[in-house]
Amino acid sequence: MSLQGVRTIAVLELRQRLRTSRWPVVIGIWFLIIGAVAGLTWWAVNNQPGDRGTTLYDVVLFFVLGLGMLVVPSLTATSINGDREHGVLATLQTTLLTPADIVIGKLVAAWVISLAFLLAASPFLVWAWIAGGVDAGRMLLAVAVLVFVLAVVCALGLMFSSLTARTISSAVLTYLTVAALTFGTVIAFLLSIPIMSTQASVRVKVLPDTWFQQHQPANPDGNANIEPTAADCVYVNRTQSIMHTERTWWLLALNPFVVVADAAPSRKPLPYLGFEPLQMISDGTRTARMGTTSDSFNECWPELSVASLSQQPNGGGDNGAPNQLQRQRLNGVPAVWPYGFVFLGLVGAGSSLLAVRRLRTPIRRLPRGTRIA
Amino acid sequence: MGTTAGIEVAGVRRAFGTVLAVDHIDLQARPGEVTALIGPNGAGKTTLLLMLATLLAPDAGSIRIGGIDPVAAPREVRATIGWMPDGFGTWDALTVREVLETVAAAYLMAPGPARARAAELLELVHLGDLADRPARVLSRGQKQRLGLARALVHHPSILLLDEPASGLDPRSRIELRDILRGLAASGATLLVSSHILTELQEIADRAVIVAGGCSVAVQDLSSESGSGDGSGHQVSQWRITSLDPPRLMAALAHHGVSTQPLSDAVDVEVAGDIAASELLAQLVGDGIPITAFAPSHGALETAYLAATEDRQ
Repeated sequence: MSLQGVRTIAVLELRQRLRTSRWPVVIGIWFLIIGAVAGLTWWAVNNQPGDRGTTLYDVVLFFVLGLGMLVVPSLTATSINGDREHGVLATLQTTLLTPADIVIGKLVAAWVISLAFLLAASPFLVWAWIAGGVDAGRMLLAVAVLVFVLAVVCALGLMFSSLTARTISSAVLTYLTVAALTFGTVIAFLLSIPIMSTQASVRVKVLPDTWFQQHQPANPDGNANIEPTAADCVYVNRTQSIMHTERTWWLLALNPFVVVADAAPSRKPLPYLGFEPLQMISDGTRTARMGTTSDSFNECWPELSVASLSQQPNGGGDNGAPNQLQRQRLNGVPAVWPYGFVFLGLVGAGSSLLAVRRLRTPIRRLPRGTRIA
Repeated sequence: MGTTAGIEVAGVRRAFGTVLAVDHIDLQARPGEVTALIGPNGAGKTTLLLMLATLLAPDAGSIRIGGIDPVAAPREVRATIGWMPDGFGTWDALTVREVLETVAAAYLMAPGPARARAAELLELVHLGDLADRPARVLSRGQKQRLGLARALVHHPSILLLDEPASGLDPRSRIELRDILRGLAASGATLLVSSHILTELQEIADRAVIVAGGCSVAVQDLSSESGSGDGSGHQVSQWRITSLDPPRLMAALAHHGVSTQPLSDAVDVEVAGDIAASELLAQLVGDGIPITAFAPSHGALETAYLAATEDRQ
């Protein structure tokens, strides 16, 4: 592999794409969609000035990732078998370019284009930053992880385009793999919950069922307004099904959305006031990683409802103690995203290596349906 | 490199699944010569060229290109060969000049020399006035010329050309012939596949005939262009047309010349140019009304038909 080789291919790919496709139009549409989403979000959280920046940041990043996962596979998924079909791959293979030059060059070109999409969305991230509430360092980390995820998707597409003879097959396989990573991991996680659940005897803090019988007003017409309090709760032993999400949370960690969301959540106190998808994804995954805690066995509703009542919807007062506690707990859970980051890194590297192997010549075994030149 | 220069192919075999594309091909192409590879469609010519171009590994047999095994050291081989495939594509969005500069960059040439070489080649294949047009607007013949220029970018000493003349107009064909002869004269090894026999006869020094995946015959063509170096063994074919065919046939029989009657002419076999001119003088002396007396280009055709006859 040489720098000139990689650059030759990358320049060739970019030139071809810029001249044959309507990228300005596509990027323009992309800009308008993200802009519309950002504008609507801004308008929707109008009456919560404190949260506008974080909500905007969250929503914009979520949409950039979601739309990026739709756009990026098309950059590479037909790259190698498409070149074969056009009869331009073999003429490169007989030059002094190595298979790695070709694969990395194509990867770099696709990645540069996906960066262009990100750049088109960046004004809205800057807007969110100006609106306040999000740390610039966190934002940069999230964007860096996003860029990395897009590069992995590029590599996946490239691998499939080297594996199949027909461009349609590689495109379908790439989209299916992206879907498996985004939806498949969630479905697998949800299915794993009942499988992993166990029956166990646990100590639960409850309001005894007999409390209302004992505290029935003597006179049915009297307005003796007696409410149970936290002090009325007792601990009982009970056999129940316990979820062990701490055993299967890693399924969620493989999800690209989780990786991006968990890399830099805005760390707002619970509960959420607006639509903050990344924050929810991150907290949900960390909750799963935490598994069943002693907190889960507190069913003393008077205690819980008192806490929630003290939560002021406009953020004017102090947040409720249990919410603070839950936030502290979640922040205490080690980050989930490094696992997914490493996993996706291995997927990307493995895909690229496989593509390089498939471009090696002279070919000994020619797969069915593949042509050389 | 000495004796190992050029292309040496021995007992090469290649199958795709159950289809045996190349069964057993032996071939030698020497530096300074144009070697023609001829054979019917599906004879294995393109498969053989793919193996020589380092893209495909043979199942059996050995290939040496400039003395190097393309399977063991493909990169070294690639530096010395120029390959012009049959029916290739171009990067449609690039201009003709950019195509050549890209190929030069792919051979790791620096931008300056790459630009100079591209300009030089555009001149050579007469695409200078189309240099800044997109490659997709080129006609088939022009694309073919661009393909030749592309194969020449890195000054290869061995050229593998698959059907280089297809789609070329007569003028371009003559120019192609001159370019190829010039390259051979400068010491390059050329292997040209085609099925246009008359054309190969003008270009090639030797022809290797392949049929059914096997090399079946080698025909020497250089003797026809005829220095006639004294040796009486170089039998060549001449075609004679006369206003009075029966008298011509009688005269030829009288002079003891072996004949091959055609519908409107007769092919004769004579030993070299001197013998041919003597025969013409004798026939004219006999008073035969001769209208044409020319070397027959049917030699290759005859050899080709004979070699491929049983394989139809």
